Amino acid sequence: MVDFEPTSQQHQVKEFIHHFAESVVRPMSLEADRAHRTPDEFLLRLVAMQGGMTMGEVPAEVGGEEGGVGETPDARGKKQKNRFALIAAEEMAWGDASVLLNLPGPGLGGPPVQFMGTPEQRQRFLGLFKQPGLHYGAYGLTEPGAGSDVSAIRTRCRKEGHHWILNGRKCFITNGAKADWVVIFATQDPSQGRAGHRAFVVEKGTPGFSVGKIEEKMGLRASETAELVLEDVRVPEENLLGGEAHYQGKDGFMGAMKTFDSSRPMVGAMAVGIARAACDYARDFVKDHYPLARALPRYIQLGQQLAEMRRMVDAGRLMCWRAAWMADEGIPNAKEASMAKAYAAKMAMKVCADAVQILGAHGLERHQFVEKWYRDIKVYDIFEGTGQIQRIVISKRILKEPPSF
Amino acid sequence: MISFSLDEEQQIIQETVRKFAAEWVRPQLREWERAGTVSDEARRAFHELGLGLLEVPEALGGAGASAVTAALVQEELGFGDAGAAVALWSPHLVTAALVELGDEAQARRFFSRFAESSVRLGAVAYSERGTTPLEGFSTVAVKRGDGYSLSGTKAFVVNGGCADLTVVFAQIEPGRGWGGVGAWVVEAGMPGMRAGARHELLGLDAAHIAEVVFDGCLVPEENRLRGGPHGLPKGVQRYFARAALMTAARQVGLARAAYEFALGYTQERRAFGKPVAHFQAIAFTLAEMLMDVEAARWMVWRAAASQKLDEVALAATHANEAAWRVADQAVQLLGGAGYVQDYPVEKWLRDTKALALTAPTDQLSQLAVASAELGHALDGGWPSSTIQPMVT
Repeated sequence: MVDFEPTSQQHQVKEFIHHFAESVVRPMSLEADRAHRTPDEFLLRLVAMQGGMTMGEVPAEVGGEEGGVGETPDARGKKQKNRFALIAAEEMAWGDASVLLNLPGPGLGGPPVQFMGTPEQRQRFLGLFKQPGLHYGAYGLTEPGAGSDVSAIRTRCRKEGHHWILNGRKCFITNGAKADWVVIFATQDPSQGRAGHRAFVVEKGTPGFSVGKIEEKMGLRASETAELVLEDVRVPEENLLGGEAHYQGKDGFMGAMKTFDSSRPMVGAMAVGIARAACDYARDFVKDHYPLARALPRYIQLGQQLAEMRRMVDAGRLMCWRAAWMADEGIPNAKEASMAKAYAAKMAMKVCADAVQILGAHGLERHQFVEKWYRDIKVYDIFEGTGQIQRIVISKRILKEPPSF
Repeated sequence: MISFSLDEEQQIIQETVRKFAAEWVRPQLREWERAGTVSDEARRAFHELGLGLLEVPEALGGAGASAVTAALVQEELGFGDAGAAVALWSPHLVTAALVELGDEAQARRFFSRFAESSVRLGAVAYSERGTTPLEGFSTVAVKRGDGYSLSGTKAFVVNGGCADLTVVFAQIEPGRGWGGVGAWVVEAGMPGMRAGARHELLGLDAAHIAEVVFDGCLVPEENRLRGGPHGLPKGVQRYFARAALMTAARQVGLARAAYEFALGYTQERRAFGKPVAHFQAIAFTLAEMLMDVEAARWMVWRAAASQKLDEVALAATHANEAAWRVADQAVQLLGGAGYVQDYPVEKWLRDTKALALTAPTDQLSQLAVASAELGHALDGGWPSSTIQPMVT
């Protein structure tokens, strides 16, 4: 049945996280942005909280929560975990998106380990997140010369006895410096294209594996974005994700891509959360600053602007929910995941810009949140596949599929 | 539970209407446009699908379908032809109004006529030239004996002057604005009602949209609609919200039609040695069009599922905007071929604008949403935030 009402459990999660985002995250958001980091004490408190908040999924088989939110299958055997994740991501991003990216957990490194890894690898690398303390995974795909065109990566790997030797550079890696391990994509031979690609879990402290510069960014400043350098890094063969058999065909690359089917709607939901925050903030500003101006045309015009912003936010959310619902139902959703992300990012950029505009000069001030969100939101049309890459994914698929919905 | 899945019955209805749109509607799109009406044959065929009283509660002899199901039907009809969608749905204009505004006895009395015949038409005479509902209607009703005498001219009425039943809004207490409005069912043949001029419009030619003139038209007391279970103001609001949703669903169908047509055309049409769809400028445009179609559909589904007024208003505006953009891009992607009448896309670009006015204007919808957003009525009108359409 067509329904857009979250379950009561989803409502509870939403309310719980919203309360947390409003009363704990938002008050520290501007300071974290200025300091370019989220305090560890704060993150430790989060981990200690009941249930624990993590970024990225820790599957039940390695000690993740059995029967946790969204993990209980319904009568048809379908789970709701993607819908739960989206609802949670929107609320957290409403509070602060970079704090959300700082939540300990496997992050984007989770899906490749889960989809490509052997049971032993899943246990070893994902089980880590049930240990006390702050633990992070990261995802190392992008290179200075390979962004959107991920098949152009030049980080090299070659087998030497029971080890692989890795050489190259990765950039723009979220939580790259503090990660306990990073999934590094490398090539045996660039002339082999995707067939030459291999994915490794490279652990922190491996000799030759070092952190380059930490980026200073336009937005999401409290989130760490690092350059990683690999110089003759010896990675044990047990760290080749999935083992050599996995790479007959183009699975290596497809594993990298599969990450995006579940992460793109999440990224879209975060953009929705930021846009909603901006929309709410602008609304409150109008209400507070025009208490006696209700009959003024300008007030009505602002009201109409707010209505349009709200509409765009809602449409963006529905696109993301659709992609998440498909994922939960086990329906292939690569096209819809891209549509959700592309649509939400573009929408959110517009909404955040409109919010700054509504506040006027106040909107430029650093202590007004919209100034920050305007900076934060831009990257949503860039990371996890630029808007252009999403449109390539979408259009390639619609030109192949029969026209229908 | 958040879900986008249609149940089995909905899938069957969707498939049925999709087939009807493909077999009956699309092939005759230009013919009906020229004729200014859909054929009686098509009306009969549509009637036989049994969708005429789809949304009418089962207790009143309808199918009792949900608004989501009705929206599916409208998307498919709109995919066939927006003008035909308006024309074929015409009995429902009145049945929906009766559900919201009439009492049970009235509903039963009038519904039976539509249930038995395929070519009966309904109309709702609401808009007028020159006045806005805020100031009250210039059409007046005066108590006369056991009934009322109606005088005035209504404009932009679908099936105006040719309907079997016409619901008419008139001022019964002038000077009281919306507080003094009443509604009546005028039956064909009642003396004093006649067809006015047919409007020549930008689009939707298959629908007969005309003025209706009342000149001392006598209507019995039992034909007065008191506003149903929710009272008149609320009933009007609910009726127009339904109408707005149906229009929005048609816009989604129209947009999907334009998108799919452009998708097919750009894969056939070659330039510089390859299909034009394989140029990124074209391919990206197609991707944008699909995103617009889908986002609009989910907005419509959400509003249909919740029936919340602000969600209906959001869906109406979103669908209007998306459909216009998609139809415009479809014409653009076809280039010169998009501008000539050999292809349907030029019609869709005209129809979408006309269709938008069978919904509340986007400005009115935005006011309704803005009022909800800011916590007080911005329009100052009555009933506050009613999103009434121009063309009814």
